[in-house]
Amino acid sequence: MKLLRIADDQSGRLLAACSRWARAFHDWYQRPGTRELRGRKLLREWLSSEQLAQYDAHNYFEVTGCHTGTRYRIHHGMGTNVYELDDAGRPRAGWCFVPKDYLVAGDVMLAQKVALETDERGALAVANNFTPR
Amino acid sequence: MSTQIVMDHNGDTRHNFDAKDTEALLKAERRFKALTGAGFTAATRGADGEPAVTRTFDPTAEVTLFFPRLVGG
Repeated sequence: MKLLRIADDQSGRLLAACSRWARAFHDWYQRPGTRELRGRKLLREWLSSEQLAQYDAHNYFEVTGCHTGTRYRIHHGMGTNVYELDDAGRPRAGWCFVPKDYLVAGDVMLAQKVALETDERGALAVANNFTPR
Repeated sequence: MSTQIVMDHNGDTRHNFDAKDTEALLKAERRFKALTGAGFTAATRGADGEPAVTRTFDPTAEVTLFFPRLVGG
């Protein structure tokens, strides 16, 4: 009986240690790389204070299209992350346009923001649209 | 000190130059033309912080951002 209790105690400790190790490995694997961090830093430098607050709170920010005044929500991501909003702030259409070269998420989002704020029609002309979920 | 920021696979590459240095300014203008000629969009920020696309080299711009041509995803 005593031996069983000792074995149970030791296996519990082993399980806890494995769990801690797995969590540490997960955190290490999911950490943003240098490139990703650089992209995020650049994005933050170019967001307005309102957009930055939104991004920190929700992982997205909103921009106003320069030609139509339409509001768009840009989610953190590298594609299919731009949503056109209706008057109630609900997504009514999705737009997918990205820089042609591989870029990290922060850079992609910044390019999308600048494009919508300075050349909305040009951005949408090349974009593919999709139905928001 | 002025800066040209070029988005690339490393996040970005920054080229700092002294706009009062004629040679550095010429080099920056050549870089501007090479990048925009290759399809990059150049953007600067106004006093209000709003981005503006620029098609000609502005020697007074403190920061110019370049990103590759956009395509449908």
